[in-house]
Amino acid sequence: MAKREEIGYFCSFTPKELIKSAGFLPVRVLADERPISLANAHIQSYCCSQVKGPLEKMLTGDLNLKGAVFTRSCDSLMRLTDIWDLNSKMEVYDLEFPTNINERSRNYFVEELYRFKEWLEKLSGREISFEDLKGSIDLYEELEKILYDVYDIKPDYELTLRAETRDVEEVIREGKSRLKQLKKANTQNSKAKVLVTGSVCPFLEVYKLIESVGFSIVDDLCTGTRFFKSDVEKREIKDMEDAMGFLADKYFLKAPCPTKNYEGDRRFKYLLDRAQKVDGVVFILLKFCEPHLFDYAQLKKELGSRGKRTLLLELEFPIASLEQLRTRLEAFYEMAVS
Amino acid sequence: MGEIKKLKTNQRMGELLQEYYLRGFQEETNCWITSGGPVELLYAMGIYPVYPENHGALMGAAKVAPKYAEVAENEGFSQDLCSYARSDIGSAIAGDSPVGGLPKPNFLFSCNNICNTVVKWYQVLSRMFKVPHFLLDTPFVRKELKESHIDYVESQLYDLIEFLEKITGNEFDESRFSRILMSSIEGINAYREVLQMGRHKPSPLTCFDGFINMAPIVCLRGTEAPIGFYKEMRKELEERVKNGVGAVDDEEIRLLWDNIPIWYRLRGLSEFFSDHNACLVADTYTNAWTDFGELSSSDPIRGIAEAYAPIYLNIGLERMAEIVNRLIDTYGVDGVVIHSNRSCKPYSFGQYEIQKMIDIPSVVIEADMTDSRVFSEAQVQTRLEAFMEMLRS
Repeated sequence: MAKREEIGYFCSFTPKELIKSAGFLPVRVLADERPISLANAHIQSYCCSQVKGPLEKMLTGDLNLKGAVFTRSCDSLMRLTDIWDLNSKMEVYDLEFPTNINERSRNYFVEELYRFKEWLEKLSGREISFEDLKGSIDLYEELEKILYDVYDIKPDYELTLRAETRDVEEVIREGKSRLKQLKKANTQNSKAKVLVTGSVCPFLEVYKLIESVGFSIVDDLCTGTRFFKSDVEKREIKDMEDAMGFLADKYFLKAPCPTKNYEGDRRFKYLLDRAQKVDGVVFILLKFCEPHLFDYAQLKKELGSRGKRTLLLELEFPIASLEQLRTRLEAFYEMAVS
Repeated sequence: MGEIKKLKTNQRMGELLQEYYLRGFQEETNCWITSGGPVELLYAMGIYPVYPENHGALMGAAKVAPKYAEVAENEGFSQDLCSYARSDIGSAIAGDSPVGGLPKPNFLFSCNNICNTVVKWYQVLSRMFKVPHFLLDTPFVRKELKESHIDYVESQLYDLIEFLEKITGNEFDESRFSRILMSSIEGINAYREVLQMGRHKPSPLTCFDGFINMAPIVCLRGTEAPIGFYKEMRKELEERVKNGVGAVDDEEIRLLWDNIPIWYRLRGLSEFFSDHNACLVADTYTNAWTDFGELSSSDPIRGIAEAYAPIYLNIGLERMAEIVNRLIDTYGVDGVVIHSNRSCKPYSFGQYEIQKMIDIPSVVIEADMTDSRVFSEAQVQTRLEAFMEMLRS
């Protein structure tokens, strides 16, 4: 079988279901171990690693993507769209995910989804049928259910990373076997719990570090729970219109992200709620990430008033010193359990 | 050393601004608004608009922005956040500023056509002051402006009107709104004519004059004030042209400025360029305010949706480069000075690409619009001197 063509995406608000239904493999582009060098000629130093890292990867010519899909989740990703387009041969698409999440923007977003579908169809040269999309929605639902159950026992960032970059059927098989193992292992633990919140972090050693100092992790990361969790209710999908409406609901009800504007400050409340039963909160934030850094100050204060200790780890990728992180996490653990 | 020729209108500007800030404390209902928001709707509802960004610029020009930014930083706001936001939040916490701080808002109105930073900034303010926040969500207009995007913005404008009616208890008066919109367009046209005086050789004004005198078009757009003010300013500039007086003595080099000004170095930079017989005849920043006057629809609400969505900071890089090239042509510019502004990502990211798309030499200087702590005088000076030399050779 010929290798499937890949479409790159950056933000977890990208509807992967549509990409897959067009016959492409959706692959999330994240930073890796390579130091930033070529990207410095295209974007300033005061830019976060989720923009610089993927840009570096693209500029070195290592990304073999048919197309790349951007969402205007933040100002940096918005500008990356054109920088990418001007410096690669890939097809570039900007999906205008609304910043306001409400009834008004839902109608608009459904139209954006249709436009996105058209672009994918043009790229693949074939129409996306209702069956294609329905099949894709069902598969992702199955995958997300498995990830949800896995995270309920213990976060598995490696599995999420695979879900973001590999074929969904393959990851469902792996996920099932991991879930079985986890259930067998019966990991009841009395360890101190820490909520890990922030944007993206594809470096698994960070999580191992957090666990190695003695914590068990409750997750709220974009490369963790926020990748797969939505409060949308499972429902019978009748036709294409229904499927598009379902996707809109699914992404609107996705675990809330600071890049959006929700009614009733949903993101803030969600996080405070997640923090209720933990012994401390670790913020893993990318340096220069405005959406998270704006919220951080008030969250820290609010958490403090509820007796929760917090630790801020501001990261740039690749991570310069894990040892330094270890020292800070160890000190934080001592404080959290005392 | 070249003498900085001050315009007489600067004084009138100071008075206008003082009146504007004073009024803020007297008005019953005020709303904090972002610089790219359609303020005409607020004026139509009798709501006094407060501009935290202008306040930020004012603190920057008064060289006290770092002091207030530190107050916010001590509360956990990162030093990597927009410095307007930091110094404004700091000023709100401290309860003062060079103009006595801002009056507490009754509600907040942001529009992300200038950046998504304002969404977060206003969310923070909404929690601080416990007041409602309305976000007018304008999609990024990367290529052409799509009908569905205009529909989306237009429908939100009707939501906004409803929201304003609820808050004030007053009914929206369409004819009053139309009058205000006409004044707004008249003000923008008067402002455009002032900026276009820079086409004369020698230019009777520098972009620093544009910066210092931009508050009326930002804060008072829709009132009578900018119309009269900019007519007066234009008269003064015409007088200079008639007498062959340039803003800079023996103008030899004509330049374009990109990005928000470096507010705390206006004077130093102004002197530097004047000493090199170089005149910054235009800039992308003040020019962006002339975008709001382009109403193509006969329906004013739809017209506003069409005008406010595709403004300079909310369009793709290729379209931005087109505008820069047009400014270069219009103003007969020899080189571009690009301010890479740590505080403004949507304005700064992509500048390296725009550099490649423009036809004349350019230089990038690294700075911040109000946070002087990240400004390296020596580095900027060296870069600019090399650029001047290159343009002369």
